[in-house]
This record gives sequence, C-alpha cells and structure tokens, in this order.
Amino acid sequence: MRALRAAWLAATLGAGAAAACVDRATSPATCPEFCPSGAIDVVDAVLGTSITRDSAFRGYVFPYHAVAMTATDAPGAMDSRAILRTSALASGLVLNSGDTTTSPLVGADSMKLTLTITRRDTAAHNLTLKLYRLPITIDSTTTFADVQSAFADSLRAVNVDALLAKPGGVDSATGDQAAIDTTSKYLKVTLKLDSLQAPYVPGDSGKLGIGVRVGADAPTSVTFCTRENACGAAVAWFVKVDSIKGTDTTLIHKQLAAVTLFDNFVFDPPNPPLDSTLAVGGAPSARSILRVTLPRAIRDSSQIIRATLILVPAVPVKGAPSDSFVVEAHTVLADFGAKSPLVLDATRTDTTFVRVGATDTVRIEVTNLLQFWTSDSTRPEVMMLRSQEEGGHAGEIRFYPSAAAAYRPALRITYARRFPFGMP
Amino acid sequence: MTARRIDGWTGRVLLGAAVLLSGYPPVRLSAQDSQFGIRGLGTPGRFETVRARSTGGAFGPFDPMSPLAEASLADLPQLTATAMGGTSYRDAEAAGATTSLRASRFPVMGLAGPVFGRLVLGGGFTTYLDRTWDVTLRDSLLLRGTMQPYSDELTSDGGVADLRLAAALRVGSRFALGVALHVLSGSTRETAARIFDDTAYHAIKQSDEVRYDGVGVSGSALLDLLPGLRLAAFARSDNRLRARLGDVVTTQTDLPNTVGGGLRWAPSPSVRLAGALTRRTWATAGAGAFNTVSWSAGLEVGSGFSPLRLGARGGQLPFGAGATAPTEVGVAAGTGRAFARGRALVDVGLEHLERKGGGLSERVWTFLLGLTVRP
Repeated sequence: MRALRAAWLAATLGAGAAAACVDRATSPATCPEFCPSGAIDVVDAVLGTSITRDSAFRGYVFPYHAVAMTATDAPGAMDSRAILRTSALASGLVLNSGDTTTSPLVGADSMKLTLTITRRDTAAHNLTLKLYRLPITIDSTTTFADVQSAFADSLRAVNVDALLAKPGGVDSATGDQAAIDTTSKYLKVTLKLDSLQAPYVPGDSGKLGIGVRVGADAPTSVTFCTRENACGAAVAWFVKVDSIKGTDTTLIHKQLAAVTLFDNFVFDPPNPPLDSTLAVGGAPSARSILRVTLPRAIRDSSQIIRATLILVPAVPVKGAPSDSFVVEAHTVLADFGAKSPLVLDATRTDTTFVRVGATDTVRIEVTNLLQFWTSDSTRPEVMMLRSQEEGGHAGEIRFYPSAAAAYRPALRITYARRFPFGMP
Repeated sequence: MTARRIDGWTGRVLLGAAVLLSGYPPVRLSAQDSQFGIRGLGTPGRFETVRARSTGGAFGPFDPMSPLAEASLADLPQLTATAMGGTSYRDAEAAGATTSLRASRFPVMGLAGPVFGRLVLGGGFTTYLDRTWDVTLRDSLLLRGTMQPYSDELTSDGGVADLRLAAALRVGSRFALGVALHVLSGSTRETAARIFDDTAYHAIKQSDEVRYDGVGVSGSALLDLLPGLRLAAFARSDNRLRARLGDVVTTQTDLPNTVGGGLRWAPSPSVRLAGALTRRTWATAGAGAFNTVSWSAGLEVGSGFSPLRLGARGGQLPFGAGATAPTEVGVAAGTGRAFARGRALVDVGLEHLERKGGGLSERVWTFLLGLTVRP
C-alpha cells in the first residue's frame, strides 16, 4: 500500500513536470480586436536642411601611394599610363657556398615582368598592354607631360585576350603567359623581354624605368595592383655571371628576382582645382565632409531603420567612359575638419557605385552610420565621403553643396517611434 | 516525530516538489492565458487552489487555502503551506484559423496558521492579472512609394501578483470573520519587433520593462445557518493599477470591486455540495472592459484521504472586442491523495473551459497539480 501511494505520487508529479517543460505562447494576431493597443509606428521623412557646413578637401592619397594605378585609353576623355621603376641588382653574386668573393654580373639574357590586373573592362575586346622604356629618374613629381615623349616606341606589346585564349594562357613563341587567379579573380600577365628590350646597364645597377599603356577595340581602362597593396609588378632577371675561378672564365646563367621600388600613374587631363562643390575621388584624392544635425526626437528616442543620403551631381562624373568607382561614406572619430580621422570599420561604412559620365542623383544607404550615431550620443554627426580605391584612379564626382538650396544634400530617414509600452 | 512521519522516499519526493514549486520566480506568476486579455489589462487570475478549481470554483469561499475569502482561514487547525501549478493546452480559433498554444503557470502559493488562540494569520501570493502573450502579425506598409510587407511580433512576459496578508477570527461557533490587505505588484518584459521582407529596411526591436503597483482590501464572513449548511459572503475593493516605465507613470487604471457569496451544504460527512456567485466591476477599467458575473457549482464526495471532486462554472470575461462581454463556461474534475498521515496532500485536477466572444473562441484543457504540507 505504501509503495502504491509512492508510485501514485511519483506519477502525478512526473506528469506535471513533463507537461510544464515548454511554453508555446506565440499566436497569430487577430487585429485590432485581440491585439495589443499599441503598434509600431514607422515614419518616413526627408530632412532637407539637416546637412550643413559641408566642404571638400584634396590631397589625402597621392597616386604613388595608392593601392591601385589606372591605365586608360579613352581618346578625348582620359589618357592615363602606369609608370614604374625596378630595383637595382647586386653587382656580383656568390656562386658557391664556400666562396669568399663574389662573381661579377656582366649582362642579362632576358627579363620577365609580371603585372597584376585587378580590374578590367571585359566588354572591350583585344585588350593590349604595351611596354615602354622610361628614364630611371621617374619619381613622384613626374607628370604626364614629362614622360609623354618616352611613350613613342613600345618595347613589347601583348594582346591579353589572345594570350588568355591560348592553351594554358602561354605563348611558347614569345614566352608570355596570362592566368586568372581563381580566388582573387586577379589577372596576372607575364611578359618576357629579351636583352635588347631589357638590357642590363651596369651604370644603372640594372634599374629599369617602364611605362605601360593599354588599348583595345574600344575605349578601355585597366587597374593594376601596386606595391602598396603587396601585389605590385614582379621582375625576374635571367643574368650572366663571370665565374672567375683561376683560368676558368665560364659565364654562369642565374635567375635573380627584383621588385618595383616605385609605381605611379600619370594622366591627362588633370583633375580641375576644387571649387564650391563637394568633390570625391580623383588623384590626389579629394574627400568631402558633411555635418549632419539630426532632430533630437529622432536621435534620442527613435530607431532608424533606413537612411539614405541623397546627393545631386553638379557636373557629369569625370573619368574613363564606361568606368565606375565606389564612393564610401564614413563617419569620423572626431570632427577636425579636413583632418578628421575616419572610423575604418566595415560595419560603419556605407557605399554606392557611381558611373562615369552619369548625372543621376546619387543615393547612398547610410543606415549603419546613423544607427552608430544614435547608439552613442557622443559621436560626432559627421560624414566623410571618399572613393574606395582612393588615389588609384582619376575618376571624380562633384556634388552640389548645401549652399545650393535647390540641389543641396538631403537625408531620407525611415524610423520607428518609441513603442508605447505600458499601455493596456 | 514529524520528521519520521514524512521521512523516506515519499518524503523526499514531497520535499523536492515543494522546492521546485516554491523556487519559481514571481515574475512568471500567471494563470489562465487568454487572448481575451491581450487588449485589456490582462487575464484575471483565479483565487482558488486545485481543490477549489476542481469543483468549478464553488468551494473557493470555503477552502481555507484559497485566497478568495479569508474568513475560511478561521477553520485552519494548524500551520499549512500550499502551492499549485497548472499547464494549459489552448486552441484559439479566429477567422477560421486555429492555433494551438501551451503554457505552464504557478498561480497560487500560500502559508497560514493559528497564532493567538482563535486568530489565524495567512499570507501568500496569487496571480492577479496575467500579461504573458506573444502575438505575430503580417501586414504591409507604404514606404517610399512601395508597399513593404513585414512581420511583427509583440510580446509581453509577466503579470501582476496579489501579495496578501490575511487574518481570520472565529467569533463564535457559527460565525467567522476575515480581513486582508492586498498589495498588487509585478512587472512585464515587453518587446516589439518588426522584420521587413526588404532587407534594405533594418529590423526593428524595442523592449522595456513595465512595473505595476496597486493596493486592495477585502473582508469576508462565514455563517453556519444550520448544521451542515454554511453561508459565505465576501467583498473586495482594489484601488487602481499604476503602470510605470522607469519612474514615469504611463497609465493608471481603476480596478474593480468584488462582491460575492456562496453556500455549502453537507448532507452527510462524505458528501459536500457548494455553489458560489461573484460580481466584479471591471467596467471601471476603461473602454473594452465589462462588469462580470460568474457562477459555479460543485460537489466533493469522500471524507477520507482520496475525495472525488466535480464542478461546473460559467460567467463572463472582463475584456473583449464586442459590445458585450465574452462568455466562459467550463467543467472540472479532480481528486487528491493524502500522505504521511494527512500531513502532505497532493491534489490533481482537470479543467475544460470554453470562451467565446467577438469572433474568437478558445477551448482550454488545464491540468492542475497542488501540494499542501502541514508540518
């Protein structure tokens, strides 16, 4: 009897505990009769005068410091060329591990130059790269006019599309090759230069100045990776070394690696000087700063769910026709005007594409930035616009500033008001 | 002596159950969930133990551990503690669609015992208003010239508990009086969330904690008209329920007055019949609220340690969408079992309710489990 009572008790408590494990309380609402009286209130508003004290500044990233360099062939619109200088070679080499002296480098058999193309216009066929010999004195002050005469006779030319169409992307006759990296999608093009095209000049320590032009069946533009992006042009020399061992004067053939010590691009026409408009892009790069005043009701007690920055171009976007570039909107850590440090955080950056030649209104989704401001009231409500590959291209867009009343920058904000909690 | 009586396996199970029931956080205190309470203040709790619920509530005014009428405490011979839990399975049908829901609640916990002669003091808490719900809805909104579909989820978790301090005195052999002070306290964690189909619009999620407070007083009397025939009368007045967000009072709602009575007849020592009637003036709570009248009738058979209980109830619900109050009818049955020579009682019950009003109907099955200990 006692065991029976215990079993009855255990079964009852067990059934109760099992039934009480999980709540399932979600139900579709029958509104408004059986819904809470409060509702989420979403408001969409255009803040036409909330952006003030805007201005543009130039000189943030120079082309020779950019992570990309652009070569463009767009007659009448833009002509830009990549220029680079390779590093010096050692005057002698240690041929054997036990040698105490070096053997002098006396000449070169050939040289291979590998260029990495990060972006190209696949609609323009028969993309051709042409190499030119430039003086080794090229530096950051070199202009388009300074080297224009050196782009007269090309050392080598290679049709990249034709090269890619060959088996394995290799031209066995010229020694050129091309391949697309499956991960990065970058196109690597290697051109082989013989000793006449790439001579070893002892007086220059083997340094070479090289210029690159592009061409195609239609106006085109190509972006090369630079040494600042750790994927600049690579150079492989095949040199001749005098062994100098007793009476043995045999020439030894060795491979030597070199790098580019300097890369840049020059273009024509240059970016016009800044005016009252808000410029973004170009080289050296320009940025525009926009100061925003959010209404307190939105900033303090609303949740922003979408915000769009509306900008009207003052002139058609400049650059290579059919090209485009990315404009980024950043917020800043502190408002120091032109020198405001950017918040370089992917989650705090909003972007949009702009097409060269377009005059359409540009809309940048800046929800992330505004949510960042509303989450921390100490953040300055300042936006800085810049191009993504800053300094790496000549493309530039100019927007009407807040002084132009009819076309001034505006913010379109969709936000949810505070839910009326605590109401029956 | 006592330790020996509830020692052993049974005692350990009872102790474990008592710990589990009493350890549940008060914020989860809530009773009958119902969609009828979403639009109003909430779903009112029932001031009844498992024993009273199993008789449709008819024995509520006469059950010492039911916090409905404190005069019945006067018959409590010794220190007694009770707690109950319930799991409801609810089908809500509206606009041709049926949704199955489930909820577990611990609506009553109490402790009472004689202190000075015939004076008995008691205390405990009960669910006063349950405000736990979670509703989802699908709709669309014109934004930037385009209809944007979205899904909303509005939730509330918590309720208002009635903390009671009661005293009862048997004035004479046929008459007992009781009074109680009620402190209403509780909170709800409320959230409102919206997800747009178009991900260009970020999700909305807002939440806050709403705190509630109020007070009430009640009094009751028991009168034995004849041997085996007992009359109960009770009344209660609650002032208002204040809702606060932080330190700001967002709403202040008048609460109802309650009056009621019951009659219990015991034609033999093993059979007891009872009926009760209650009126609450919920209409003072504002638009969409109605005064309610509820009735109940029940039977308890068996004088030993395993009685059988049956009951029925009916009446109105205080909050609804239509021009008239939603209605509720139900039946209940249950039994109990005493252990350790009557010092521990386990009561079980099963209740079925049907609610209708404003195009919504609900069918609820509730399994009830109660534990009473007399150390």
